[in-house]
Amino acid sequence: MGIKKVGLNRNIQPQSLTEKIFFLDFMKGLRTTIKHLFKKVITVDFPFELVEPAPRFRGIHGLRNVDGTEKDDFQAWVKKLKIKPPEMGETRCIACKFCQAACPVPEIFVIKADKLDVPEDHPHHGLKVMTQFDMDLSKCMFCGLCTLACPTICIIHTDVYDLSAYTRRGCVLDKETLSKIADDFVARRGKEKYDEKSQWPDWQKIWDDADKARAKAWDNNPPKLGPNYADQQ
Amino acid sequence: MSWITLDKINELKEKFEFIQINENEKGFHSVELPKENLKQFLRFLKDDPDYSFKMFIDWTIIDHGAKAEPRFQGVLILFSPEYKERIIIKTWATDETLPTLTDIWPGAKWAEREAWDMFGIKFDGHKNLVRMFLWETYPYHPLRKDFPLKGHQEVELPSLNEKERMDQLEGLQNYSRMHTALPTLEDLEITQKKRMPNKKSQVVLNWGPLHPGTHGTIWFLFDMESEYVQDCDIIIGQLHRGVEKIAENLNVQQILPYTDRMDYIASMNENHSVCVAAEKLLGIHEKIPPKAKYIRTMLAELSRINSHLLWLGTYALDLGALTMFLYTFREREKIMDIFEGITGARFTINYFRVGGVYADLPYGALDAIEHFIKDFPTRLSDYENLLTRNRIWLKRNVDVGVITEQDVYDYGLTGAVARAAGVPYDLRIIDKYDAYSEVEFDVPVGEKGDSYDRYLVRIEEMKQSSRIVQQCIDKLRKMSKNDPFFFEPEDKKMKITIDGRGTKLFKGEVYAGADNPRGELGVYIYMPKDGIKPYRFRLRSGAFYNLQIFPKLMIGRPIADAITILSTIDPVVGETDR
Repeated sequence: MGIKKVGLNRNIQPQSLTEKIFFLDFMKGLRTTIKHLFKKVITVDFPFELVEPAPRFRGIHGLRNVDGTEKDDFQAWVKKLKIKPPEMGETRCIACKFCQAACPVPEIFVIKADKLDVPEDHPHHGLKVMTQFDMDLSKCMFCGLCTLACPTICIIHTDVYDLSAYTRRGCVLDKETLSKIADDFVARRGKEKYDEKSQWPDWQKIWDDADKARAKAWDNNPPKLGPNYADQQ
Repeated sequence: MSWITLDKINELKEKFEFIQINENEKGFHSVELPKENLKQFLRFLKDDPDYSFKMFIDWTIIDHGAKAEPRFQGVLILFSPEYKERIIIKTWATDETLPTLTDIWPGAKWAEREAWDMFGIKFDGHKNLVRMFLWETYPYHPLRKDFPLKGHQEVELPSLNEKERMDQLEGLQNYSRMHTALPTLEDLEITQKKRMPNKKSQVVLNWGPLHPGTHGTIWFLFDMESEYVQDCDIIIGQLHRGVEKIAENLNVQQILPYTDRMDYIASMNENHSVCVAAEKLLGIHEKIPPKAKYIRTMLAELSRINSHLLWLGTYALDLGALTMFLYTFREREKIMDIFEGITGARFTINYFRVGGVYADLPYGALDAIEHFIKDFPTRLSDYENLLTRNRIWLKRNVDVGVITEQDVYDYGLTGAVARAAGVPYDLRIIDKYDAYSEVEFDVPVGEKGDSYDRYLVRIEEMKQSSRIVQQCIDKLRKMSKNDPFFFEPEDKKMKITIDGRGTKLFKGEVYAGADNPRGELGVYIYMPKDGIKPYRFRLRSGAFYNLQIFPKLMIGRPIADAITILSTIDPVVGETDR
């Protein structure tokens, strides 16, 4: 560790007389720009060509449904919070409100769970079910704290990034919309992002290396992806 | 740790009977003294060769609540460039006044104006004590503890409700018609007149707040005689969001996304500052897993390259070299791609956590970074071919905006601006936080302190950063995929979570920070007792103090130099305004 002195006359020589007369400094610059003239295009022709967001991309939220890839302690959480055991296709949300507690702007969420209206001898008597889950995404920072807090990996970030609406009402998503977004996302890219227990696996890639549009932005010379660590496959 | 030792403080105590020592087991001790003796004591500290606390770092206020008597306490942080140590001096602001320090350090000018704006503390002897961020007619002082978080909502703004176009939202998600006070055009006129009370010539040129050359919303006033600037002042605060006030109502992991939005070009580094400070307060900074340390160091340096590339592109663009802007943005795109893949966001990243990082690197991350770093030096030499010895570039930069070593100490300049003036002030070397003690790099230092030196220093910093990144990659390659990336506390009293719920801070105070592309972002946290929310969360912004020297550099210069000087100081308004 040291100190490196920089400055005119120290590591940069001032212009010599020949350079001044023959405009050699401009020639040098022009050589660089002309070299670039013969290179391939590096810009992406949006919206006809799209870069696929990375698997970890934090886009619009979604609420995952039960699809057999829950974490091992999912049933324990359901029991603990006295939620009606969800069947296949029903939401994973157990209305624990951890997402709201972790959120820097808790006003985003409106979460409600109501008791089921069933007779006393019914097996679901006294159990609750999540009835309202509204998210006002116009207030959201997309920081990802809610997804880290979720014990059942229900609330997730998807790769959808165009959240435009004509009114503020359009930025408020309810539980049906959120479920649909998540189902769509998991069907498209779930295999890239999650393992069979819905966790982020160590083979989750930094991005899809077959993406041609992204390769363009990398000067048509994209990196070859390999393992990070010595013991990784 | 670069703090004054207890022995040296005890020697001070022998000389000055009125000082009181607050010992602290976390490694640094503060000195408390009555405000009547403050200036005499500070002059001694500044001039005495055994101490020589020449460099001004920060000067702020703690509000101890409406019931406390006395209520406000001034906190001054100084740095001694010779002994590489800091000191914290505290004094009580009885009757809500304090003596001004502007005659000892001119850099205290804006700090005192900020303290007046935010806390309503008057400074005796300050030449023009006007508000810093808010407009002159604003009646409140928002950082006082009795000011509500949502402000006093007293202006009706029905347009926000969109009543005609939408059905009314219900419950919490509805918008209130009432809004906190907003400045009118009259208010702004009063503000402008108060900022520059004595006009010297006929024309006052307004530059900004919305001008592409100001790189944000800064409003400059130039008092001009022909094309030479006689007097200059800056009105900032158009982007003031009260990050410090918000932070005092959140837990420490929740503060991180807000710091993303301060210096939005280098948000990784902003997160880094807060993480380092909170970890030092908890006493766990040395115990962070090595994997997290190397990942953080590597990404912080990549973020520095990213930020300097944006600076280089826009700076050259401002001086007329459009091609540079396109070239640097091509390289930035690659870094943003890497950030997107690792963290999930391209710009407002929020990847670092107090205690490590929130996830391990994804498959292929190190390869992508290595690919970029291998390619980067040839790109950098392209940039240098275009600019470094170009005659127009030399004419517009050499000997423009010369900052001397004395200016650095007086104004508390940090980052590349200080280093170009010949002061090797770099927190990476002084504090050696994270993995910086284990990697090799040089600190580039300029000679003259003009704009050209600042350009050369930043170019050299990019080269050094890529050196650091390469070393971090080599270290990370040897680690295992099962190594932890987040700190697990053994102490049962301590609770740290990745999502922030229940993360507690301990009683005490800390000043720490990281060396950001725009200077030192110091974080001062004061906790009177254990708790979740920080009681006082002060962000010492490097860009804020660096911008302060701009009027001094502009006086006597032609107006065209404003672009060059502002670009090489390189403020980001999100960070100056907070």
